[in-house]
Amino acid sequence: MSDEGPAAPDLRSDETAEVVVDRTAPHPIVGVPVIEVAGVWKTYRSGSLEVDALRGVDLCVDRGEYVAVMGPSGSGKSTLMHILGCLDVPTAGTFRLAGDDVRSMSEEDLAQVRNRRIGFVFQQFNLLATLSAWRNVELPLLYAGIERAERRRRSLASLERVGLADRVDHRPGELSGGQQQRVAMARALVTDPDLILADEPTGNLDSVSAGDVLALLADLHRSGRTVVLITHDTEVAAAADRVVRIRDGRILAGAPVGAREVR
Amino acid sequence: MNLLETFRTGLDAVLTHRLRSVLTVLGITIGIAAVILTVGLGEGAQQQVGSEISALGSNLLTVTPGSATSSTGIRGGIGTASTLTVGDAAALASKVVAPDINAVAPATSVQETLVAGTQNWTTTVVGTDPAWLTVRGRSMAEGRFLVAQDLASRADVVVLGATTAQELFGVRDPVGQTVDVAGRPLTVIGVLQPVGSSSAASTAANPDDQAVLPLTTASALLFSGASRNAVSQILVQATSAATLSAAYQETDAELLNLHRVATPAQADFTITSEQQVLSTATSVDRTLTVLLGGIAGISLVVGGIGVMNIMLVSVTERIREIGLRKALGATPRVIRRQFLVEASVLGTVGGVLGALLGIAGALVLPHLISNPIAVSPAAAAAAVAVAVALGVAFGVYPADRAARLEPIDALRTE
Repeated sequence: MSDEGPAAPDLRSDETAEVVVDRTAPHPIVGVPVIEVAGVWKTYRSGSLEVDALRGVDLCVDRGEYVAVMGPSGSGKSTLMHILGCLDVPTAGTFRLAGDDVRSMSEEDLAQVRNRRIGFVFQQFNLLATLSAWRNVELPLLYAGIERAERRRRSLASLERVGLADRVDHRPGELSGGQQQRVAMARALVTDPDLILADEPTGNLDSVSAGDVLALLADLHRSGRTVVLITHDTEVAAAADRVVRIRDGRILAGAPVGAREVR
Repeated sequence: MNLLETFRTGLDAVLTHRLRSVLTVLGITIGIAAVILTVGLGEGAQQQVGSEISALGSNLLTVTPGSATSSTGIRGGIGTASTLTVGDAAALASKVVAPDINAVAPATSVQETLVAGTQNWTTTVVGTDPAWLTVRGRSMAEGRFLVAQDLASRADVVVLGATTAQELFGVRDPVGQTVDVAGRPLTVIGVLQPVGSSSAASTAANPDDQAVLPLTTASALLFSGASRNAVSQILVQATSAATLSAAYQETDAELLNLHRVATPAQADFTITSEQQVLSTATSVDRTLTVLLGGIAGISLVVGGIGVMNIMLVSVTERIREIGLRKALGATPRVIRRQFLVEASVLGTVGGVLGALLGIAGALVLPHLISNPIAVSPAAAAAAVAVAVALGVAFGVYPADRAARLEPIDALRTE
């Protein structure tokens, strides 16, 4: 269903090839999916009203996959993204990130997971306006306790990767929207995370910049990263090699989630 | 994230929000400067009073007639009985009887109107002997003071205080002029050096407004009958402040003996020391210092609440930033520390600036107002420490609020 996407044709084969290599390298537990969501409910309480944002979601994403979660606003996709990003915990059900159950983690542990294993790309870019590009990129490394010289080296490498080597000292206000989003992507990459979570990354961009960002995501995927893209836009979702549709808090359809998920 | 990095991040935030930081710092600065200045003012007043009183003679004892409690249990007011005589004074002046007494001056005073030509002036007229000048610690501005010969011959002479001379003679030279006291013309032989009236605590009357005559002249002129030999007070100067209590005991014993009083409880005189006056004055000043310090302390608390207010605004304003930092892996502890660092940086900068402003004020203000300001380095250091503590204490709550923000709630905020 994502075969029409621009980078799609070569991805299938690429994926199968990459997966094997990747699994053995950083995570010795072979066969453990990056994301393993089973029967997840999320209930919000506003006053006396209870709202079920997620109603029993099952989702499995393997290492090296590029998955788009697609749904209209109010479908629960943002809630799912928050849970996948360890920004929120499920009310019921389990979420394993690379094999580790998130529900048993303390707030400190969750912070560490967000820091080391997840790279976020937001619709609003969420760059700190007062810091230069490289200072924005180094933030996750700062919280990881890495020393300054190493932070700078890795931040610059990451910015070069997204094609902004000549903008390292610019502040977000001095960059175009597309460039800002690429800085945010450099920040997501800098810790070498297990998972890149992109929440409507093209939502605030013109079509040219959006294309750049999608090309970059595709490129990251091609180099073996696991990418989960959340969008309401069919065209954007088409860039992924698997699309999971979500509506009213339930997964509607998607690529066969595979035997692995149903355990 | 280590402490240095936390500090750097906090400092960054302070520097980025410049106007806000400056205004917050200003609150603390004013508070600390106010504390230093008011406490300095109080201490300065205390030191000034102390030094003025000791210049007047902290080794001075004043003997007045009357006792605190009579043998029959009836309290006799001080000065109600005229039991002190010139003879008592002469006895105390003996080095054999009282080795720790340096000088003794009997004195009697009364309010009288002085007339010089067409000018009238009512003032305190003191009848005393030449030792008064030494005992009172005064000196002459011009002319001479009383000498023994003046007493022996009941000379018609008078020494005027500076204010008295000014009131009676204006710009004219008073020495050699004539002043009528109770109808008798007296020749002005000298004018006392003014001491200023700020030490009013030590003597009820203005020390610059009085007329001093020989005791014998005053007795004949102003007091009649049995009281001719009586004096209203005997001023006793100890050889030093250290021997004051010895001088007190010698005076007490000698007078009890002379008056044939068996027990000190029945004494017909009262001895007071300037030391008592000094301690009273000092305690008054201390009360003032506490009062002023309290007001300054309140302004400090206001400054501290200012820090809290600004930090809370800062937390609210930066919800997105905090959420992002948390999403990127900042733990609640790191966020809390960052905001605490910000608050304490504001407190510290405010404290140091306040101390500098306070010290500068202490150097400049005494030229504009008459009061001296004493600033102790310890007080300044304590004020800075208080400022830092304020910053931290009032930063705890906002920092905690920031630390407890949910990253999604924070990120969702538009």
